[in-house]
Amino acid sequence: MIETVHLRKEFGTKVAVHDLNLTVPLGRVTGLLGLNGAGKTTTIKILATLLRQTSGTVSVGGLDPVRQPRAVRRRINLIAGGERMVYARMTGRENLWYFGQLYDVPGRVLRPRVAELLDLVGLAEAADTRVERYSRGMAQRLSIARGLVNDPDYLLLDEPTLGLDAPIARDLRRVVAALAERGKGVLLTSHYLAEVEQLCAHVYVIGDGRHLAEGTPAELVAQSGCHRTVRVAVVELTPRVEAAARAFAPAVRIAPGGVVELSGPGDVAGALTSTIIEAGGALKGLEIAEPTLEDAILALNDRPAAVIA
Amino acid sequence: MRHAARIFRAEALKQHRRVFGSKLVVFSMLIWPLLTLAQSYYTLRPLAATPGIAERWPLAADPERLLAFLATGALGFTFFFSLVQSAWHFTFERQTGTLELLFLSPANRLVVVVANGFGALVQNVWLFACFAVAGFTLFDVARVAHLGMYAVVFLALLVPAVAWGALLNSLLIFSRDAAFLYTLLDDPMWFAAGVRLPTFALPGWLRAAGSVLPLTGSLVVVRGALLDGRGVGELAGELAALAVLSAVLLLTAVAALRLGEARARRTGQLGLF
Ligand SMILES: Nc1ncnc2c1ncn2[C@@H]1O[C@H](COP(=O)(O)OP(=O)(O)OP(=O)(O)O)[C@@H](O)[C@H]1O
Ligand SMILES: [Mg+2]
Repeated sequence: MIETVHLRKEFGTKVAVHDLNLTVPLGRVTGLLGLNGAGKTTTIKILATLLRQTSGTVSVGGLDPVRQPRAVRRRINLIAGGERMVYARMTGRENLWYFGQLYDVPGRVLRPRVAELLDLVGLAEAADTRVERYSRGMAQRLSIARGLVNDPDYLLLDEPTLGLDAPIARDLRRVVAALAERGKGVLLTSHYLAEVEQLCAHVYVIGDGRHLAEGTPAELVAQSGCHRTVRVAVVELTPRVEAAARAFAPAVRIAPGGVVELSGPGDVAGALTSTIIEAGGALKGLEIAEPTLEDAILALNDRPAAVIA
Repeated sequence: MRHAARIFRAEALKQHRRVFGSKLVVFSMLIWPLLTLAQSYYTLRPLAATPGIAERWPLAADPERLLAFLATGALGFTFFFSLVQSAWHFTFERQTGTLELLFLSPANRLVVVVANGFGALVQNVWLFACFAVAGFTLFDVARVAHLGMYAVVFLALLVPAVAWGALLNSLLIFSRDAAFLYTLLDDPMWFAAGVRLPTFALPGWLRAAGSVLPLTGSLVVVRGALLDGRGVGELAGELAALAVLSAVLLLTAVAALRLGEARARRTGQLGLF
Protein backbone atom coordinates (compact mmCIF):
# COMPACT_ATOMS: atom_id res chain seq x y z
CA MET A 1 0.00 0.00 0.00
CA ILE A 2 1.02 3.59 -0.51
CA GLU A 3 0.87 5.71 2.58
CA THR A 4 1.68 9.35 3.18
CA VAL A 5 1.93 10.83 6.65
CA HIS A 6 1.85 14.60 7.22
CA LEU A 7 2.89 15.15 3.63
CA ARG A 8 3.84 18.72 2.85
CA LYS A 9 5.23 20.32 -0.28
CA GLU A 10 6.35 23.90 -0.65
CA PHE A 11 7.42 25.61 -3.86
CA GLY A 12 9.24 28.63 -2.52
CA THR A 13 6.65 30.40 -0.42
CA LYS A 14 3.72 28.61 -2.07
CA VAL A 15 2.46 25.64 -0.05
CA ALA A 16 1.00 23.22 -2.59
CA VAL A 17 0.30 20.37 -0.17
CA HIS A 18 -0.45 20.78 3.54
CA ASP A 19 -0.26 17.91 5.98
CA LEU A 20 -1.82 15.26 3.79
CA ASN A 21 -2.45 11.73 5.08
CA LEU A 22 -3.35 9.41 2.27
CA THR A 23 -3.63 5.66 1.88
CA VAL A 24 -3.76 3.85 -1.45
CA PRO A 25 -4.26 0.13 -0.85
CA LEU A 26 -3.72 -2.62 -3.39
CA GLY A 27 -6.75 -4.00 -5.14
CA ARG A 28 -8.89 -0.93 -5.44
CA VAL A 29 -9.14 2.48 -7.06
CA THR A 30 -8.66 5.40 -4.74
CA GLY A 31 -9.77 8.82 -5.91
CA LEU A 32 -8.10 12.16 -5.29
CA LEU A 33 -10.38 15.07 -6.00
CA GLY A 34 -10.10 18.81 -5.83
CA LEU A 35 -10.55 21.90 -7.90
CA ASN A 36 -7.80 23.28 -10.14
CA GLY A 37 -4.67 23.98 -8.18
CA ALA A 38 -5.76 21.87 -5.23
CA GLY A 39 -2.47 19.97 -5.21
CA LYS A 40 -3.43 16.70 -6.89
CA THR A 41 -0.67 16.61 -9.49
CA THR A 42 1.88 17.69 -6.91
CA THR A 43 0.85 14.82 -4.63
CA ILE A 44 1.00 12.31 -7.47
CA LYS A 45 4.43 13.52 -8.55
CA ILE A 46 5.75 13.10 -5.03
CA LEU A 47 4.52 9.51 -5.00
CA ALA A 48 6.12 9.01 -8.41
CA THR A 49 9.54 10.27 -7.14
CA LEU A 50 9.44 13.20 -9.57
CA LEU A 51 9.12 15.62 -6.69
CA ARG A 52 10.49 15.39 -3.20
CA GLN A 53 8.31 16.38 -0.30
CA THR A 54 9.36 19.26 1.96
CA SER A 55 8.38 17.27 5.02
CA GLY A 56 6.35 14.23 6.00
CA THR A 57 6.91 10.65 4.98
CA VAL A 58 5.89 8.51 2.05
CA SER A 59 5.95 4.76 1.83
CA VAL A 60 5.32 2.87 -1.39
CA GLY A 61 4.86 -0.79 -0.59
CA GLY A 62 7.22 -0.33 2.34
CA LEU A 63 9.84 1.54 0.28
CA ASP A 64 10.86 5.14 0.87
CA PRO A 65 10.94 7.15 -2.40
CA VAL A 66 13.53 9.50 -0.92
CA ARG A 67 15.98 6.79 0.07
CA GLN A 68 15.16 4.04 -2.41
CA PRO A 69 13.92 5.91 -5.47
CA ARG A 70 14.99 3.30 -8.00
CA ALA A 71 13.22 0.47 -6.21
CA VAL A 72 10.09 2.60 -6.04
CA ARG A 73 10.31 3.52 -9.73
CA ARG A 74 10.30 -0.15 -10.73
CA ARG A 75 7.04 -0.75 -8.90
CA ILE A 76 5.04 2.29 -9.98
CA ASN A 77 4.05 4.09 -13.10
CA LEU A 78 2.34 7.35 -13.88
CA ILE A 79 -0.08 8.14 -16.64
CA ALA A 80 -1.05 11.73 -17.22
CA GLY A 81 -3.63 13.01 -19.64
CA GLY A 82 -2.59 14.75 -22.82
CA GLU A 83 -0.94 13.27 -25.85
CA ARG A 84 2.55 14.63 -25.38
CA MET A 85 4.14 11.79 -23.49
CA VAL A 86 5.40 9.58 -26.32
CA TYR A 87 8.00 9.83 -29.10
CA ALA A 88 6.43 11.07 -32.31
CA ARG A 89 9.08 9.68 -34.64
CA MET A 90 8.79 6.13 -33.34
CA THR A 91 5.92 3.76 -33.96
CA GLY A 92 3.56 2.69 -31.20
CA ARG A 93 5.33 -0.64 -30.85
CA GLU A 94 8.76 0.99 -30.82
CA ASN A 95 7.67 3.41 -28.10
CA LEU A 96 6.59 0.56 -25.85
CA TRP A 97 9.72 -1.40 -26.64
CA TYR A 98 11.83 1.67 -25.81
CA PHE A 99 10.24 2.14 -22.41
CA GLY A 100 10.44 -1.60 -21.80
CA GLN A 101 14.22 -1.27 -22.13
CA LEU A 102 14.35 1.65 -19.69
CA TYR A 103 12.43 -0.49 -17.19
CA ASP A 104 14.63 -3.50 -17.93
CA VAL A 105 11.67 -5.74 -18.68
CA PRO A 106 13.19 -9.05 -19.84
CA GLY A 107 12.93 -9.54 -23.60
CA ARG A 108 10.95 -12.77 -23.29
CA VAL A 109 8.31 -10.99 -21.23
CA LEU A 110 8.39 -7.69 -23.10
CA ARG A 111 7.54 -8.93 -26.58
CA PRO A 112 4.18 -10.55 -25.69
CA ARG A 113 3.41 -7.77 -23.22
CA VAL A 114 3.82 -5.06 -25.85
CA ALA A 115 1.46 -6.92 -28.17
CA GLU A 116 -1.02 -7.41 -25.35
CA LEU A 117 -0.93 -3.76 -24.34
CA LEU A 118 -1.37 -2.53 -27.90
CA ASP A 119 -4.38 -4.77 -28.12
CA LEU A 120 -5.70 -3.57 -24.79
CA VAL A 121 -5.70 0.06 -25.89
CA GLY A 122 -7.00 -0.76 -29.35
CA LEU A 123 -3.83 0.12 -31.24
CA ALA A 124 -2.99 -3.32 -32.60
CA GLU A 125 -3.61 -2.18 -36.14
CA ALA A 126 -1.71 1.06 -35.78
CA ALA A 127 1.16 -0.62 -33.91
CA ASP A 128 3.64 -0.09 -36.71
CA THR A 129 2.57 3.40 -37.67
CA ARG A 130 4.60 6.34 -36.49
CA VAL A 131 3.02 8.22 -33.63
CA GLU A 132 3.18 11.51 -35.57
CA ARG A 133 0.39 10.08 -37.75
CA TYR A 134 -1.76 9.18 -34.75
CA SER A 135 -4.80 11.15 -33.72
CA ARG A 136 -4.69 12.80 -30.33
CA GLY A 137 -6.77 10.03 -28.78
CA MET A 138 -4.54 7.34 -30.25
CA ALA A 139 -1.41 8.98 -28.88
CA GLN A 140 -3.00 9.21 -25.50
CA ARG A 141 -4.02 5.58 -25.56
CA LEU A 142 -0.45 4.71 -26.38
CA SER A 143 0.63 6.73 -23.39
CA ILE A 144 -1.70 4.62 -21.27
CA ALA A 145 -0.11 1.44 -22.60
CA ARG A 146 3.27 2.99 -21.83
CA GLY A 147 2.23 3.35 -18.20
CA LEU A 148 1.60 -0.38 -17.98
CA VAL A 149 4.77 -1.56 -19.67
CA ASN A 150 6.56 -2.36 -16.39
CA ASP A 151 3.46 -4.07 -14.97
CA PRO A 152 3.48 -1.70 -11.98
CA ASP A 153 1.99 -2.61 -8.61
CA TYR A 154 0.80 0.94 -8.22
CA LEU A 155 -0.60 3.06 -10.97
CA LEU A 156 -0.89 6.81 -10.59
CA LEU A 157 -3.43 8.30 -12.99
CA ASP A 158 -3.51 12.06 -13.37
CA GLU A 159 -6.60 12.90 -15.41
CA PRO A 160 -6.04 9.97 -17.77
CA THR A 161 -9.23 10.49 -19.75
CA LEU A 162 -8.62 14.18 -20.45
CA GLY A 163 -9.62 14.77 -24.06
CA LEU A 164 -10.63 11.19 -24.85
CA ASP A 165 -13.95 10.63 -26.58
CA ALA A 166 -16.71 8.89 -24.66
CA PRO A 167 -16.34 5.29 -25.89
CA ILE A 168 -12.58 5.33 -25.43
CA ALA A 169 -12.88 6.85 -21.98
CA ARG A 170 -15.37 4.12 -21.11
CA ASP A 171 -12.95 1.45 -22.31
CA LEU A 172 -10.23 3.00 -20.21
CA ARG A 173 -12.47 2.92 -17.15
CA ARG A 174 -13.01 -0.79 -17.77
CA VAL A 175 -9.27 -1.31 -17.98
CA VAL A 176 -8.69 0.59 -14.75
CA ALA A 177 -11.41 -1.35 -12.94
CA ALA A 178 -9.95 -4.63 -14.21
CA LEU A 179 -6.46 -3.64 -13.06
CA ALA A 180 -7.72 -2.97 -9.56
CA GLU A 181 -9.53 -6.30 -9.58
CA ARG A 182 -6.26 -7.99 -10.48
CA GLY A 183 -4.77 -6.54 -7.32
CA LYS A 184 -3.14 -3.27 -8.42
CA GLY A 185 -3.35 -0.17 -6.32
CA VAL A 186 -4.64 2.73 -8.38
CA LEU A 187 -4.73 6.40 -7.48
CA LEU A 188 -6.94 8.41 -9.81
CA THR A 189 -7.50 12.11 -10.21
CA SER A 190 -10.10 13.27 -12.65
CA HIS A 191 -12.35 16.20 -13.27
CA TYR A 192 -15.02 13.83 -14.58
CA LEU A 193 -16.76 13.12 -11.35
CA ALA A 194 -19.09 10.50 -12.76
CA GLU A 195 -15.95 8.55 -13.59
CA VAL A 196 -14.70 8.83 -10.04
CA GLU A 197 -18.08 7.87 -8.67
CA GLN A 198 -18.11 4.79 -10.82
CA LEU A 199 -14.55 3.61 -10.20
CA CYS A 200 -13.44 4.69 -6.78
CA ALA A 201 -14.06 2.76 -3.63
CA HIS A 202 -12.58 5.52 -1.53
CA VAL A 203 -12.14 9.18 -2.36
CA TYR A 204 -10.07 11.96 -0.82
CA VAL A 205 -11.13 15.52 -1.39
CA ILE A 206 -8.49 18.23 -1.09
CA GLY A 207 -8.68 21.95 -1.49
CA ASP A 208 -5.72 24.32 -1.49
CA GLY A 209 -3.52 21.39 -0.55
CA ARG A 210 -5.53 20.57 2.55
CA HIS A 211 -7.53 17.47 3.33
CA LEU A 212 -11.21 18.40 3.19
CA ALA A 213 -13.02 15.08 3.41
CA GLU A 214 -12.78 11.41 2.58
CA GLY A 215 -15.00 8.38 2.25
CA THR A 216 -16.94 6.43 -0.33
CA PRO A 217 -18.63 8.65 -2.91
CA ALA A 218 -21.95 8.09 -1.09
CA GLU A 219 -20.45 9.04 2.27
CA LEU A 220 -18.97 12.17 0.77
CA VAL A 221 -22.32 13.22 -0.55
CA ALA A 222 -23.85 12.64 2.86
CA GLN A 223 -21.02 14.54 4.59
CA SER A 224 -21.23 17.46 2.23
CA GLY A 225 -24.71 18.29 3.48
CA CYS A 226 -26.14 18.14 -0.02
CA HIS A 227 -29.68 16.86 -0.20
CA ARG A 228 -31.84 15.35 -2.83
CA THR A 229 -33.96 17.77 -4.80
CA VAL A 230 -37.65 17.22 -5.52
CA ARG A 231 -39.13 18.96 -8.55
CA VAL A 232 -42.86 18.96 -9.03
CA ALA A 233 -44.16 20.35 -12.32
CA VAL A 234 -47.75 21.56 -12.25
CA VAL A 235 -50.01 22.17 -15.23
CA GLU A 236 -51.04 25.62 -14.04
CA LEU A 237 -49.42 27.59 -11.28
CA THR A 238 -52.41 29.19 -9.51
CA PRO A 239 -51.85 31.62 -6.64
CA ARG A 240 -53.41 29.04 -4.33
CA VAL A 241 -50.94 26.34 -5.32
CA GLU A 242 -48.10 28.80 -4.96
CA ALA A 243 -49.22 29.86 -1.50
CA ALA A 244 -49.67 26.25 -0.36
CA ALA A 245 -46.20 25.32 -1.63
CA ARG A 246 -44.58 28.29 0.11
CA ALA A 247 -46.41 27.43 3.28
CA PHE A 248 -45.14 23.82 3.04
CA ALA A 249 -41.54 24.93 3.42
CA PRO A 250 -39.93 28.36 3.26
CA ALA A 251 -37.04 26.90 1.22
CA VAL A 252 -39.30 26.06 -1.71
CA ARG A 253 -38.24 27.65 -4.99
CA ILE A 254 -40.74 28.28 -7.70
CA ALA A 255 -39.36 28.35 -11.17
CA PRO A 256 -41.15 30.02 -14.07
CA GLY A 257 -43.24 27.57 -16.01
CA GLY A 258 -44.65 26.09 -12.85
CA VAL A 259 -41.90 23.94 -11.36
CA VAL A 260 -41.89 23.74 -7.57
CA GLU A 261 -38.47 22.76 -6.30
CA LEU A 262 -37.34 21.78 -2.84
CA SER A 263 -34.02 20.43 -1.57
CA GLY A 264 -33.79 19.04 1.87
CA PRO A 265 -33.04 16.12 4.10
CA GLY A 266 -35.52 13.27 4.43
CA ASP A 267 -38.26 12.17 2.07
CA VAL A 268 -40.39 15.17 1.24
CA ALA A 269 -41.61 14.17 -2.21
CA GLY A 270 -44.83 12.55 -1.05
CA ALA A 271 -45.82 15.30 1.35
CA LEU A 272 -45.04 18.07 -1.11
CA THR A 273 -47.04 16.53 -3.95
CA SER A 274 -50.09 15.90 -1.72
CA THR A 275 -49.97 19.50 -0.52
CA ILE A 276 -49.97 20.73 -4.10
CA ILE A 277 -52.79 18.39 -5.13
CA GLU A 278 -54.85 19.40 -2.09
CA ALA A 279 -54.44 23.02 -3.16
CA GLY A 280 -56.03 22.10 -6.50
CA GLY A 281 -52.85 21.76 -8.54
CA ALA A 282 -52.70 19.23 -11.39
CA LEU A 283 -49.36 17.37 -11.68
CA LYS A 284 -47.45 17.32 -14.95
CA GLY A 285 -44.30 15.66 -13.68
CA LEU A 286 -42.32 14.63 -10.66
CA GLU A 287 -38.57 14.33 -10.48
CA ILE A 288 -36.38 13.33 -7.54
CA ALA A 289 -32.70 14.16 -8.10
CA GLU A 290 -30.13 12.57 -5.80
CA PRO A 291 -27.17 14.81 -5.03
CA THR A 292 -24.10 13.90 -7.08
CA LEU A 293 -20.47 13.82 -6.13
CA GLU A 294 -20.14 17.02 -8.11
CA ASP A 295 -22.59 18.82 -5.84
CA ALA A 296 -20.70 17.42 -2.88
CA ILE A 297 -17.29 18.59 -4.11
CA LEU A 298 -18.58 22.08 -4.80
CA ALA A 299 -20.22 22.22 -1.40
CA LEU A 300 -17.11 20.90 0.34
CA ASN A 301 -14.95 23.50 -1.32
CA ASP A 302 -17.25 26.28 -0.28
CA ARG A 303 -16.62 25.87 3.39
CA PRO A 304 -13.47 25.91 5.50
CA ALA A 305 -11.94 22.60 6.48
CA ALA A 306 -12.70 23.05 10.16
CA VAL A 307 -16.44 22.98 9.61
CA ILE A 308 -16.28 19.63 7.85
CA ALA A 309 -13.93 18.00 10.34
CA MET B 1 25.62 -4.00 -17.18
CA ARG B 2 22.87 -5.78 -19.06
CA HIS B 3 20.45 -3.01 -18.22
CA ALA B 4 23.00 -0.47 -19.50
CA ALA B 5 23.34 -2.39 -22.76
CA ARG B 6 19.58 -2.32 -23.18
CA ILE B 7 19.49 1.44 -22.61
CA PHE B 8 22.17 1.82 -25.30
CA ARG B 9 20.01 -0.14 -27.72
CA ALA B 10 16.92 1.85 -26.83
CA GLU B 11 18.66 5.20 -27.28
CA ALA B 12 20.23 3.99 -30.53
CA LEU B 13 16.77 3.30 -31.93
CA LYS B 14 15.45 6.63 -30.69
CA GLN B 15 18.36 8.50 -32.28
CA HIS B 16 18.02 6.48 -35.44
CA ARG B 17 14.41 7.55 -35.82
CA ARG B 18 15.36 11.13 -35.05
CA VAL B 19 18.42 11.38 -37.31
CA PHE B 20 16.94 9.46 -40.21
CA GLY B 21 13.50 10.94 -39.78
CA SER B 22 14.17 13.14 -42.80
CA LYS B 23 15.75 12.26 -46.10
CA LEU B 24 17.83 15.41 -46.02
CA VAL B 25 20.03 13.81 -43.43
CA VAL B 26 22.76 13.02 -46.00
CA PHE B 27 23.26 16.73 -46.34
CA SER B 28 24.23 17.17 -42.74
CA MET B 29 26.09 13.86 -42.66
CA LEU B 30 28.21 14.25 -45.75
CA ILE B 31 27.53 17.15 -48.08
CA TRP B 32 27.76 19.82 -45.42
CA PRO B 33 31.06 18.62 -43.90
CA LEU B 34 32.50 18.23 -47.40
CA LEU B 35 31.45 21.73 -48.40
CA THR B 36 32.98 23.28 -45.32
CA LEU B 37 36.11 21.23 -45.92
CA ALA B 38 36.32 22.47 -49.50
CA GLN B 39 35.75 26.01 -48.33
CA SER B 40 38.61 25.92 -45.84
CA TYR B 41 40.89 24.19 -48.32
CA TYR B 42 40.40 26.70 -51.07
CA THR B 43 40.68 29.56 -48.58
CA LEU B 44 43.97 28.32 -47.21
CA ARG B 45 45.61 26.89 -50.35
CA PRO B 46 47.03 30.23 -51.55
CA LEU B 47 49.17 30.14 -48.41
CA ALA B 48 51.43 27.64 -50.17
CA ALA B 49 52.66 30.46 -52.40
CA THR B 50 53.48 32.69 -49.42
CA PRO B 51 57.26 33.18 -49.14
CA GLY B 52 58.68 31.65 -46.00
CA ILE B 53 55.57 29.56 -45.22
CA ALA B 54 57.66 26.36 -45.16
CA GLU B 55 59.43 27.62 -42.02
CA ARG B 56 56.39 28.97 -40.22
CA TRP B 57 53.84 26.25 -41.05
CA PRO B 58 55.58 23.51 -43.07
CA LEU B 59 52.40 21.58 -43.68
CA ALA B 60 50.75 24.46 -45.54
CA ALA B 61 53.48 24.36 -48.18
CA ASP B 62 52.18 20.99 -49.39
CA PRO B 63 48.54 21.20 -50.65
CA GLU B 64 47.93 17.47 -50.12
CA ARG B 65 49.09 17.57 -46.53
CA LEU B 66 47.09 20.74 -45.97
CA LEU B 67 43.99 18.96 -47.23
CA ALA B 68 44.70 16.02 -44.91
CA PHE B 69 45.15 18.44 -42.02
CA LEU B 70 41.81 20.09 -42.76
CA ALA B 71 40.09 16.73 -43.31
CA THR B 72 41.13 15.52 -39.86
CA GLY B 73 39.84 18.80 -38.45
CA ALA B 74 36.51 18.38 -40.21
CA LEU B 75 36.26 14.79 -39.01
CA GLY B 76 36.90 15.77 -35.40
CA PHE B 77 34.46 18.63 -35.64
CA THR B 78 31.78 16.32 -37.05
CA PHE B 79 32.25 14.02 -34.05
CA PHE B 80 31.96 16.74 -31.45
CA PHE B 81 29.35 18.87 -33.11
CA SER B 82 26.98 15.95 -33.64
CA LEU B 83 26.87 15.77 -29.85
CA VAL B 84 26.08 19.44 -29.52
CA GLN B 85 23.18 18.80 -31.88
CA SER B 86 21.92 15.75 -30.06
CA ALA B 87 22.11 17.57 -26.71
CA TRP B 88 20.12 20.38 -28.25
CA HIS B 89 17.50 17.88 -29.38
CA PHE B 90 17.47 16.36 -25.92
CA THR B 91 16.09 19.63 -24.58
CA PHE B 92 13.03 19.25 -26.84
CA GLU B 93 12.11 16.27 -24.71
CA ARG B 94 11.17 18.71 -22.03
CA GLN B 95 8.43 20.12 -24.27
CA THR B 96 7.19 16.73 -25.37
CA GLY B 97 7.03 15.54 -21.77
CA THR B 98 9.22 12.53 -22.43
CA LEU B 99 12.06 13.96 -20.37
CA GLU B 100 9.94 13.52 -17.28
CA LEU B 101 9.29 9.94 -18.32
CA LEU B 102 13.02 9.24 -18.46
CA PHE B 103 13.26 10.46 -14.89
CA LEU B 104 10.21 8.43 -13.91
CA SER B 105 11.97 5.26 -15.01
CA PRO B 106 14.57 3.42 -12.93
CA ALA B 107 17.17 3.77 -15.69
CA ASN B 108 20.55 5.05 -14.57
CA ARG B 109 20.68 8.71 -15.58
CA LEU B 110 24.35 8.73 -16.55
CA VAL B 111 23.84 5.68 -18.75
CA VAL B 112 20.90 7.41 -20.44
CA VAL B 113 22.85 10.57 -21.29
CA VAL B 114 25.92 8.61 -22.43
CA ALA B 115 23.80 6.24 -24.51
CA ASN B 116 21.91 9.15 -26.01
CA GLY B 117 25.13 10.83 -27.14
CA PHE B 118 26.69 7.59 -28.33
CA GLY B 119 23.63 6.72 -30.39
CA ALA B 120 23.64 10.10 -32.07
CA LEU B 121 27.39 10.10 -32.62
CA VAL B 122 27.71 6.73 -34.30
CA GLN B 123 24.80 7.37 -36.64
CA ASN B 124 25.86 10.87 -37.53
CA VAL B 125 29.53 10.35 -38.22
CA TRP B 126 29.87 6.94 -39.86
CA LEU B 127 29.33 8.23 -43.38
CA PHE B 128 31.80 11.08 -43.20
CA ALA B 129 34.26 8.91 -41.27
CA CYS B 130 34.16 6.24 -44.00
CA PHE B 131 34.60 8.95 -46.57
CA ALA B 132 37.59 10.38 -44.76
CA VAL B 133 39.22 6.97 -44.38
CA ALA B 134 38.64 6.27 -48.08
CA GLY B 135 40.12 9.65 -48.97
CA PHE B 136 43.21 9.07 -46.86
CA THR B 137 43.76 5.66 -48.40
CA LEU B 138 43.19 6.92 -51.92
CA PHE B 139 45.52 9.90 -51.70
CA ASP B 140 47.95 7.96 -49.58
CA VAL B 141 48.66 10.94 -47.36
CA ALA B 142 48.58 9.11 -44.02
CA ARG B 143 51.90 8.43 -42.32
CA VAL B 144 51.14 6.06 -39.48
CA ALA B 145 53.63 4.35 -37.20
CA HIS B 146 51.69 1.08 -37.34
CA LEU B 147 48.15 -0.10 -38.02
CA GLY B 148 47.26 -0.12 -34.32
CA MET B 149 47.42 3.68 -34.43
CA TYR B 150 44.14 3.70 -36.36
CA ALA B 151 42.49 2.22 -33.28
CA VAL B 152 44.16 4.87 -31.11
CA VAL B 153 42.87 7.58 -33.45
CA PHE B 154 39.37 6.16 -33.32
CA LEU B 155 39.37 5.97 -29.52
CA ALA B 156 40.90 9.43 -29.19
CA LEU B 157 37.91 10.77 -31.10
CA LEU B 158 35.22 8.54 -29.63
CA VAL B 159 35.90 8.53 -25.90
CA PRO B 160 36.30 12.29 -25.35
CA ALA B 161 33.38 12.94 -27.71
CA VAL B 162 31.06 10.66 -25.76
CA ALA B 163 32.16 12.18 -22.45
CA TRP B 164 31.59 15.63 -23.93
CA GLY B 165 28.14 14.59 -25.16
CA ALA B 166 27.23 13.22 -21.75
CA LEU B 167 28.19 16.52 -20.12
CA LEU B 168 26.28 18.62 -22.64
CA ASN B 169 23.20 16.42 -22.23
CA SER B 170 23.40 16.66 -18.45
CA LEU B 171 23.72 20.43 -18.50
CA LEU B 172 21.01 21.00 -21.06
CA ILE B 173 18.46 18.75 -19.37
CA PHE B 174 18.29 21.20 -16.53
CA SER B 175 18.77 24.42 -18.41
CA ARG B 176 16.51 26.38 -20.65
CA ASP B 177 19.27 28.25 -22.41
CA ALA B 178 20.06 25.52 -24.88
CA ALA B 179 19.97 27.79 -27.91
CA PHE B 180 22.70 29.93 -26.41
CA LEU B 181 25.02 26.99 -25.89
CA TYR B 182 24.36 25.83 -29.43
CA THR B 183 25.56 29.13 -30.87
CA LEU B 184 28.47 29.27 -28.48
CA LEU B 185 29.73 25.87 -29.55
CA ASP B 186 29.39 26.18 -33.29
CA ASP B 187 31.76 28.72 -34.88
CA PRO B 188 33.82 29.36 -31.75
CA MET B 189 34.55 25.66 -31.48
CA TRP B 190 35.80 25.60 -35.06
CA PHE B 191 38.11 28.37 -34.19
CA ALA B 192 39.39 27.64 -30.71
CA ALA B 193 39.97 23.93 -31.18
CA GLY B 194 42.23 24.42 -34.20
CA VAL B 195 39.94 22.75 -36.69
CA ARG B 196 41.28 24.69 -39.69
CA LEU B 197 44.25 26.54 -38.28
CA PRO B 198 47.01 25.10 -36.13
CA THR B 199 46.58 26.24 -32.54
CA PHE B 200 50.03 27.87 -32.58
CA ALA B 201 48.59 30.43 -34.97
CA LEU B 202 45.99 31.50 -32.42
CA PRO B 203 46.43 34.21 -29.78
CA GLY B 204 47.20 32.99 -26.26
CA TRP B 205 43.82 33.71 -24.75
CA LEU B 206 42.04 31.77 -27.45
CA ARG B 207 44.44 28.87 -27.08
CA ALA B 208 43.69 28.84 -23.36
CA ALA B 209 39.97 28.76 -24.05
CA GLY B 210 40.44 26.03 -26.62
CA SER B 211 42.44 23.84 -24.28
CA VAL B 212 39.34 23.01 -22.20
CA LEU B 213 37.57 21.73 -25.31
CA PRO B 214 38.23 18.01 -25.70
CA LEU B 215 38.16 18.45 -29.48
CA THR B 216 41.47 20.32 -29.24
CA GLY B 217 43.22 17.40 -27.57
CA SER B 218 41.58 14.88 -29.87
CA LEU B 219 42.82 16.72 -32.93
CA VAL B 220 46.38 16.85 -31.59
CA VAL B 221 46.38 13.08 -31.20
CA VAL B 222 44.62 12.38 -34.50
CA ARG B 223 46.97 14.60 -36.48
CA GLY B 224 50.04 13.40 -34.65
CA ALA B 225 49.16 9.81 -35.41
CA LEU B 226 47.87 10.20 -38.96
CA LEU B 227 49.99 13.02 -40.39
CA ASP B 228 53.24 12.84 -38.47
CA GLY B 229 53.49 9.10 -37.89
CA ARG B 230 53.87 9.45 -34.15
CA GLY B 231 53.42 6.31 -32.03
CA VAL B 232 51.72 5.78 -28.68
CA GLY B 233 54.97 6.47 -26.82
CA GLU B 234 55.42 9.87 -28.45
CA LEU B 235 51.80 10.76 -27.87
CA ALA B 236 51.69 9.47 -24.29
CA GLY B 237 51.46 12.94 -22.77
CA GLU B 238 48.64 14.03 -25.07
CA LEU B 239 46.79 10.76 -24.61
CA ALA B 240 47.04 11.01 -20.83
CA ALA B 241 45.77 14.59 -20.90
CA LEU B 242 42.89 13.52 -23.09
CA ALA B 243 42.03 10.65 -20.73
CA VAL B 244 42.09 12.97 -17.73
CA LEU B 245 39.93 15.53 -19.53
CA SER B 246 37.41 12.83 -20.51
CA ALA B 247 37.24 11.61 -16.92
CA VAL B 248 36.71 15.16 -15.68
CA LEU B 249 33.93 15.68 -18.21
CA LEU B 250 32.20 12.48 -17.13
CA LEU B 251 32.53 13.28 -13.44
CA THR B 252 31.14 16.75 -14.06
CA ALA B 253 28.25 15.13 -15.92
CA VAL B 254 27.56 12.88 -12.92
CA ALA B 255 27.60 15.88 -10.59
CA ALA B 256 25.38 17.92 -12.92
CA LEU B 257 22.86 15.09 -13.09
CA ARG B 258 22.80 14.63 -9.32
CA LEU B 259 22.44 18.32 -8.56
CA GLY B 260 20.05 18.90 -11.44
CA GLU B 261 17.73 16.07 -10.47
CA ALA B 262 17.76 17.03 -6.81
CA ARG B 263 16.91 20.58 -7.76
CA ALA B 264 14.20 19.47 -10.19
CA ARG B 265 12.62 17.34 -7.47
CA ARG B 266 12.57 20.38 -5.23
CA THR B 267 11.27 22.96 -7.70
CA GLY B 268 9.36 20.76 -10.13
CA GLN B 269 11.14 22.40 -13.05
CA LEU B 270 11.40 19.24 -15.15
CA GLY B 271 7.72 19.57 -15.87
CA LEU B 272 7.86 23.27 -16.63
CA PHE B 273 8.62 24.71 -20.01
N1 LIG C 1 6.72 23.60 -10.05
C1 LIG C 1 5.93 24.45 -9.38
N2 LIG C 1 6.42 25.62 -8.92
C2 LIG C 1 5.63 26.46 -8.23
N3 LIG C 1 4.34 26.26 -7.93
C3 LIG C 1 3.79 25.11 -8.36
C4 LIG C 1 4.55 24.16 -9.11
N4 LIG C 1 3.73 23.12 -9.40
C5 LIG C 1 2.53 23.41 -8.87
N5 LIG C 1 2.56 24.60 -8.24
C6 LIG C 1 1.44 25.23 -7.52
O1 LIG C 1 0.96 24.33 -6.55
C7 LIG C 1 -0.46 24.32 -6.53
C8 LIG C 1 -0.97 22.92 -6.77
O2 LIG C 1 -0.75 22.58 -8.11
P1 LIG C 1 -1.14 21.17 -8.74
O3 LIG C 1 -0.62 21.14 -10.12
O4 LIG C 1 -0.70 20.10 -7.82
O5 LIG C 1 -2.74 21.26 -8.75
P2 LIG C 1 -3.81 20.25 -9.33
O6 LIG C 1 -4.70 19.88 -8.21
O7 LIG C 1 -3.16 19.15 -10.07
O8 LIG C 1 -4.61 21.18 -10.33
P3 LIG C 1 -5.28 20.86 -11.76
O9 LIG C 1 -6.63 20.31 -11.45
O10 LIG C 1 -5.37 22.20 -12.39
O11 LIG C 1 -4.40 19.92 -12.48
C9 LIG C 1 -0.91 25.34 -7.55
O12 LIG C 1 -1.19 26.53 -6.88
C10 LIG C 1 0.28 25.51 -8.45
O13 LIG C 1 0.34 26.82 -8.95
MG1 LIG D 1 -3.13 18.56 -12.09
